[in-house]
Amino acid sequence: MNKRLRFWLDERSGYSVIFHFLKEKKIPQHRHSIWYYTGSAILLFFAIQVITGFLLVFYYNPTLEGANASVARIMTEVPLGWIIRSVHSWSASFMIAFVFVHLLSIWITKAYRKPRELTWMSGVFLLFVSLAFGFTGYLLPWDDLSLSATKVGTDIPRSIPIVGIWVTKLLRGGEDVTGDTLTRFFGFHVSILPLFLLAILAVHVYLIQKQGMSIPLEAERKDEKMKELPFWPNFVFREMVVWLVLTGILFSVAVFFPPSLDKAADLMAPAPEGIRPEWYFLFLFQMLKIFPAKILFVNGDTLAVLLILLGIVAFFFLPLIDNKPAERKGKIITVIAYLFIVFALAMTVWSLL
Amino acid sequence: MRKKKKYVALFVLVIAFHSFFLLKPVFAQQVGQKEKTEMTQEVESQEKIIPGPQNITESTGIYVFIVWMWLAIFVLIYILILKIKEVDRLHEIRFISKKIK
Repeated sequence: MNKRLRFWLDERSGYSVIFHFLKEKKIPQHRHSIWYYTGSAILLFFAIQVITGFLLVFYYNPTLEGANASVARIMTEVPLGWIIRSVHSWSASFMIAFVFVHLLSIWITKAYRKPRELTWMSGVFLLFVSLAFGFTGYLLPWDDLSLSATKVGTDIPRSIPIVGIWVTKLLRGGEDVTGDTLTRFFGFHVSILPLFLLAILAVHVYLIQKQGMSIPLEAERKDEKMKELPFWPNFVFREMVVWLVLTGILFSVAVFFPPSLDKAADLMAPAPEGIRPEWYFLFLFQMLKIFPAKILFVNGDTLAVLLILLGIVAFFFLPLIDNKPAERKGKIITVIAYLFIVFALAMTVWSLL
Repeated sequence: MRKKKKYVALFVLVIAFHSFFLLKPVFAQQVGQKEKTEMTQEVESQEKIIPGPQNITESTGIYVFIVWMWLAIFVLIYILILKIKEVDRLHEIRFISKKIK
């Protein structure tokens, strides 16, 4: 019966082509192979986000009066609700951490070189969508800290010349952060961003399958014959070990360090002390903070935001900028990668002090 | 045998999560606006909610679950390591036999 059903399905969908492809797929083995596991770890955390997100949506109420109360209810009345929320919150942090590690490892090993430029660009898109998930999700508990952080966050685009004010209004749904912003952020968080993410993820995964895994630059230049491992089952079994360990760590952290909830935000109240965004925005936040108010005749904020935008554009087009990875220019770009890591860590630590 | 295991796993999952859905027959939308329970109102007046197990049963259950989870993870990793060794050996044999041909 099982066989007949499979044959029936295959005759109509041709799904066995995918299985055949995965069976034939090979994974190169070398000293940088460990970075291959970061990609599937991101997928694991994304899947956990989706499942826990579905569960939270059953009880969350995206209105000015109900948002904070419904989160409080999830944490105090819903059976195991606090764990579900904690897992959702922690898996978001884990996912973004792994996206950073994944992209930085690709940057340093120069895995984005020809013909994988589009794979890199789709990956950078995925980073931005993940950050947007974090930014929109931060407001949803609607407590004092999340309201103030969102006010600061949505005010940053205002410094961009010409379109800045429009972007801020678009994000807030008006002049200020209100209940409309909450509804808007909820809409982004549960419908628009997931659709974007799934579409870009599909392109990203397709490109990875089409181009295959990259090998180290030196090995490619010397035309070395690389040891290969079948994707199924050899590599998948190894990935399962990583998934198990990561799931264990995630659940343990979520149980022992669940995120707390402050009292409901008051739109009229002054901003509380120690406003801080999520950890992955801290280095940008600190950078904006230390920028002088005026540099020559230009507003400091505008200059800082434009610099950040320029950095983002350069990061997106990195494979095109780093078009000679084996030469001097390529080596300088690798040094920049290390400097960026040191800079981001230093700024984050400074912001926490 | 495998099928049975699958059904048992599915059953355990359903049991574990069913209570999450069966809190009250109230739509989530109504909760914040109209039907706030006493407990929620009490919670609202508090300054900060520090989440954690709500009673001793839940607390014990959570810690037992964590210990069970790690035990299960270690056992599964052990089985996977054996499997990895086996499939690697098979792959190597195939690789060598291809070379000889």
